[in-house]
Amino acid sequence: MKKKNRTVKIINTIWVGAIAIIFLCPLLWMLSSSLKAGHEVFSLDFHWIPEVIRWENYARVWNNAEIPFWKLFLNSFKIAILGTAGQLLISSMAGYALAKIRFRGKNLVFILILVTMMIPAQALIIPRYILFDAIGLYGTHWALILQSWFNVTSIFLLRQFYMGLPDDLMEAARVDGASHYIIWLKVMLPLTKTPMITVIVLAFISSWNEYLNALIFLPTYDLYTVSQGIRWFLQLTDDYNLMMAAAASAILPIIILFLFTQKHFVESIATSGVKG
Amino acid sequence: MNKKKEAVAGWLFMTPALFIFLTLVLIPVISSIILSFTKWNFLSGFSGIEFTGVNNFIKLFTKDRKFKKALVNTVIYAITIAPTTVALSLFLAHMLNTKVYLKKFLRMCFFIPYISSMVALAAVFRYMFRTDGPVNLILGKVFGMDPVPNWMIDGSLCRIPVILVMIYAGIGFCVIVYMAALQAVPSELYEAAQIDGASAVRSFFKITLPLVSSTTFYLLIVRLIAAFKIFTAVNVMDSNGGAVSVVEIIYDEAFGKYNFGYASAASWVLVAIILLVTLLQMWGQKKWVHY
Repeated sequence: MKKKNRTVKIINTIWVGAIAIIFLCPLLWMLSSSLKAGHEVFSLDFHWIPEVIRWENYARVWNNAEIPFWKLFLNSFKIAILGTAGQLLISSMAGYALAKIRFRGKNLVFILILVTMMIPAQALIIPRYILFDAIGLYGTHWALILQSWFNVTSIFLLRQFYMGLPDDLMEAARVDGASHYIIWLKVMLPLTKTPMITVIVLAFISSWNEYLNALIFLPTYDLYTVSQGIRWFLQLTDDYNLMMAAAASAILPIIILFLFTQKHFVESIATSGVKG
Repeated sequence: MNKKKEAVAGWLFMTPALFIFLTLVLIPVISSIILSFTKWNFLSGFSGIEFTGVNNFIKLFTKDRKFKKALVNTVIYAITIAPTTVALSLFLAHMLNTKVYLKKFLRMCFFIPYISSMVALAAVFRYMFRTDGPVNLILGKVFGMDPVPNWMIDGSLCRIPVILVMIYAGIGFCVIVYMAALQAVPSELYEAAQIDGASAVRSFFKITLPLVSSTTFYLLIVRLIAAFKIFTAVNVMDSNGGAVSVVEIIYDEAFGKYNFGYASAASWVLVAIILLVTLLQMWGQKKWVHY
């Protein structure tokens, strides 16, 4: 019986492994193409490993004269970090208020927020564009950062977690005369590390993948994000190899980040799914 | 405890969230509804706004052939992408959970596309499916297909690469959620089934499937809504308008032609579809989900 189980397990590993390899193929092809000469990418004589490995393709992308990728990276990171930090702070405060403070109108506010959750941001881009244009935020990174500061899922996730924390924790601090601000900052915030990591992970991924807003609000090269950089290589040049190097440059840092934080990543996705 | 102080604290904690909510959600929702009943080119300034009642919607559904195509495409995307992604994910998660070696490494392989930039993936897929690209190289050389399909040029085929990249990018998320859900299924159930002589296939359909039905439902809805909002993949991959989606139309009308009124109307058609799906979820969850 035991031996049979082991054989089954080996067979399963082989063909799930085969599917996994198919999954990696597009990314491996991207890496391989990014190290080739332009004309080799679609050559009929296909090689996974190019005859001459051209690392200089990456240098040409990163130091591109028109859109240097190092600059696009800084832009994308700036938007992702400021957006995520703001979203975390604002969601944590709102989540705490909705879970732990009693005030009139709370339920109404909560229902209103939940109802608008169903309306996709894509339906709101036009009024947001008019607003940002009017107050001078069109053509700045703030147009993207501010939009990520309000996120219903994050508020909801943190509220649920705060609800699960016992009130006794607060009461003890209250007796000592602590205000809500102190309780939130000193007592509660350290206890919500798990859902905060979830919020950070999800906010970072969605900011890194943001495309529509970048197209709309960031019109000039100096504002471009990594996503726009890839599009630029795809549409405005015929350098297939450089486009692949650009795509690889966008994907690799996130994979490396993932390898170091795999546990948190996976737990975050799992909790967001279970609670979501 | 001071009630008034409590209320002040409550509203103070809510202020940042409410401020963004009001300016970037609530007011935009209202103005977008109003705009959908107007004819307004943004370039003509605020004085150019002209109320036209339901004209935009009539035009969308009767005269605009491109919108009709986008609507059909978007529905095709939703009904192909969501079920395929979810079914494949359940299957993979089931296999990964106990029945394989190298579990963590294999899980990572499926997860990497999910965290990869969608623009990058779409760009890579666009090149993979070129007529002289690697997909056709395999079809031609290994499977002897001749002539090879013109994926990106042929009007009826160009949706397939879009569908594939969406499934490819979405599976990682669903696999992780399913693996967590499967861990919650008590192993005694499987042991009992095994003692009773039930086959692995039978216990999958009789135990696993019903017990993760709430997760299945959740993932189906999440992927359905994601598919209805599809934009990035289409914008990057579509070269001749054959794969156009509803959000692509909204983007074109609004920021290509500055027809803000017409684009708002199109975006409310999208909202209506997504609301419908959400209501369906509420209704269906009661009916089909077994706990």
